[in-house]
Amino acid sequence: MNTTGFERGEINGIRVHVMPTTRFKTFAVSLYMGVPLAEDTVTPTALIPFILRRGTETYPETTSFREALENMYGAGFGFDVYKKGDYQMVQLRMDTINDSFVASDEPLLSRSLAFLGETVTRPVLENNRFRDKYVQAERENVRKRMEAVIDDKIRYAAERCIQEMCKDEPYRLSALGKMDVLDQLDGASIYEQYQQWLSNSSMDLYIVGDTTLDEVMQLVSRHFQVNRSAPVMYTPAVPRPAAPEVRQVVEEMAVSQGKLNMGLRTPITYSDERYAAALVANGVLGGFPHSKLFMNVREKESLAYYVGSRFDPYKGITTIQSGIELQNFDKALEIIRQQLDNLQAGDISESEISQTKALIRNDLLESRDSAYQMIAYDFNGLFSDKERSVDELLTAIEHITADEIQAASSVLQLDTIYFLTGQKEA
Amino acid sequence: MESIRYDRLQETLYHEKLDNGLEIYVLPKEGFQKTYATFATRYGSVDNHFQVEGQEEIQVPDGIAHFLEHKMFEEPDGVDVFSKFSAKGASANAFTSFDQTVYLFSATEQIEDNLNTLLDYVQNPYFTKENVDKEKGIIGQEIQMYNDNPDWRVYYGLIEAMYQKHPVRIDIAGTIESISEITKDTLYSCYNTFYHPSNMMLFVVGGVNPEQVIEQVRRNQAAKNYEPQGQINRYFEQEPAAVGEKWKEIKLPVSQPKFLMGFKETADGLTGEALQRKNLVTKLMLDLLLGNSTALYQQLYDEDLISDDFGYDYTGTSEYAYSMIGGDTRDPKLLVQRLQEEIGKIVETGFSQEAFDRSLRKRIGNYLRLLNSPESIAHEFTRNRFKDSDFFAILLIYESLTLEDVNQRLRDHMNWDQLAVSVVVSP
Repeated sequence: MNTTGFERGEINGIRVHVMPTTRFKTFAVSLYMGVPLAEDTVTPTALIPFILRRGTETYPETTSFREALENMYGAGFGFDVYKKGDYQMVQLRMDTINDSFVASDEPLLSRSLAFLGETVTRPVLENNRFRDKYVQAERENVRKRMEAVIDDKIRYAAERCIQEMCKDEPYRLSALGKMDVLDQLDGASIYEQYQQWLSNSSMDLYIVGDTTLDEVMQLVSRHFQVNRSAPVMYTPAVPRPAAPEVRQVVEEMAVSQGKLNMGLRTPITYSDERYAAALVANGVLGGFPHSKLFMNVREKESLAYYVGSRFDPYKGITTIQSGIELQNFDKALEIIRQQLDNLQAGDISESEISQTKALIRNDLLESRDSAYQMIAYDFNGLFSDKERSVDELLTAIEHITADEIQAASSVLQLDTIYFLTGQKEA
Repeated sequence: MESIRYDRLQETLYHEKLDNGLEIYVLPKEGFQKTYATFATRYGSVDNHFQVEGQEEIQVPDGIAHFLEHKMFEEPDGVDVFSKFSAKGASANAFTSFDQTVYLFSATEQIEDNLNTLLDYVQNPYFTKENVDKEKGIIGQEIQMYNDNPDWRVYYGLIEAMYQKHPVRIDIAGTIESISEITKDTLYSCYNTFYHPSNMMLFVVGGVNPEQVIEQVRRNQAAKNYEPQGQINRYFEQEPAAVGEKWKEIKLPVSQPKFLMGFKETADGLTGEALQRKNLVTKLMLDLLLGNSTALYQQLYDEDLISDDFGYDYTGTSEYAYSMIGGDTRDPKLLVQRLQEEIGKIVETGFSQEAFDRSLRKRIGNYLRLLNSPESIAHEFTRNRFKDSDFFAILLIYESLTLEDVNQRLRDHMNWDQLAVSVVVSP
């Protein structure tokens, strides 16, 4: 008996994690495949899931691939490519309803795993390479996605801030890769990268629903035939110190609202003993509507509609983001820095602490209602090589003191200030 | 308290209407940690001209329903409502749409306290000149944020293109100019009209005991002595059948043009289950026509005219009804032309039984998956109930639909004279 609720197995170098439960009307399936984020592989790796979802041996045409999903009572199928620590993650998800609600000839879980297994391991090929038509279309698709970052100014400012801050690390790269190498990639080179990825990535398959580990292991052995030996472990990122001097970057664009973003370094990551204290510290600073940033920048000064902070414990970075009137840059920056100074000086009230603890506790308890959130929580521990159950974290948070919050805050170092501002009249 | 059993869904819903007119619904979810509660008023951005039976008719500035939503978080004792919820481990929020304003929290513990907080703050307005003026800066930044968002602009652009008179064409948040006219008195007028319990609904879903919840709400409301209120009359200007603008263009920096087109329908006054059925048939029809497994979708994708963000939706009320179809595209004009050619062919032949069965399965699967989500249940149930329809009846309606329903709807809806297009392009 373990405390996480997941039962574990291993087959073909794939780690399998199953939570048998009847609480949901669905089976949730999530496959994580991670590789170190690297300049020369980031772009072809990003293209892989885009090509895989175009067709398989059984369903070579995209329309038939998608019809097959609809026939499974509209099974949800999705994928995502993102950065986590110093890894590039490809995640594929399926979400199928439990058969007991509908009349189905073959169990939907077995059909889902067959479908996902085939999608990942038996893509449609032509002359031993990915189908050219799909490669060309998806290259264009990825190019457009890269370009479209500019459409969402909030996201654009966040990505630019990270790019500037991590300009000497692989982490500066977009999870989608590099625009200038897209054209050099073809069905052969991406297929080669795909084979590497299939053999060498860290591979974790999660299932939550009305099933058993035995049943899932049989299905995985049948449907995920891959040439892998042992599972590949993740190596947690080593946090970096901040630049010796704070960098300030200002960029102009035709916008009516300015976006002020800040990047800070922290040595505290998920596996650190101070992790719980750092979570609370971020909550006090800007995680919630009662936090220092929201209360002061928005409620007291009416400077912003959105303002908050985010703690990334896989990379050791905290970011602050806000949308402000263009001419309020100096004022907003001063007030935000003041909040940070107050936090680091230990100017933290009892109610800020208790409210933050209560909301983090609520978030953790609520995550048990969502199959995907339980999966994500478990995977975070695995990724960081640190087993810490929800209950353990709840207890740790309860006992955090004001001094510990201050200590976890005092190690935050401001690194980069990024401001997206309007264009000056010519 | 009455209970309503939905055998097929394995759900039981509990309901009571209080003497002051408040409707309460409770859906217990066994094994769930979370309780999610919404307290909603049938009042949104379109309700800008109204009268309570026996009182004066009034007209209010654009964006006031949303402004009011923001201001409800202010309390006479100066204690911030968010902090009050935070202290009890509840995460709180609110949102305003065309026709409703919803206040909500989710929590795993201290549900009774949190439920009282929800009822009490929404039923305790506190507007002063100072706190109203302060909010103008914050909402001003919210408006600016949306102004810079091309997806929002193309969406609103289409509604503005279609509607000439109906207030659905007014941005939910209003404009910087219109909110400058809002005063504490106009806020109180709106509040007193639309936040009467007889115009509101409470929905609670999660690991709760229905009898306890309802008893708690009875006690809470009994202490508040609401006087009965007459009927609320809402006035909407007569909307011409034709669209206002056939092609509307907005300039903003974008990587490629954003495109949305839609067919404006004449409001046919349908309500209740008939309206709900029409909405479900229309959405199913759009799936069959444009879903990502269709030949048409794939063809347009192959022609590099659409990408993964291509989508569609249908909004149907008794007052206004329209579809929206689109996404990013390299060439909006060509995309309209291609859609018109290809849809024309499909209208001639209709859909096949096989495609109909498959799409219906998908819709049913999606619907059942929604029932895992307390948030979706609360929002969808309330939205439907305000329109006199039942969210939990949807499975049975789906199962009664036929291929002919969908083919008929296709022929009726695709009226190219009623088409409007909205695009956002780079300056």
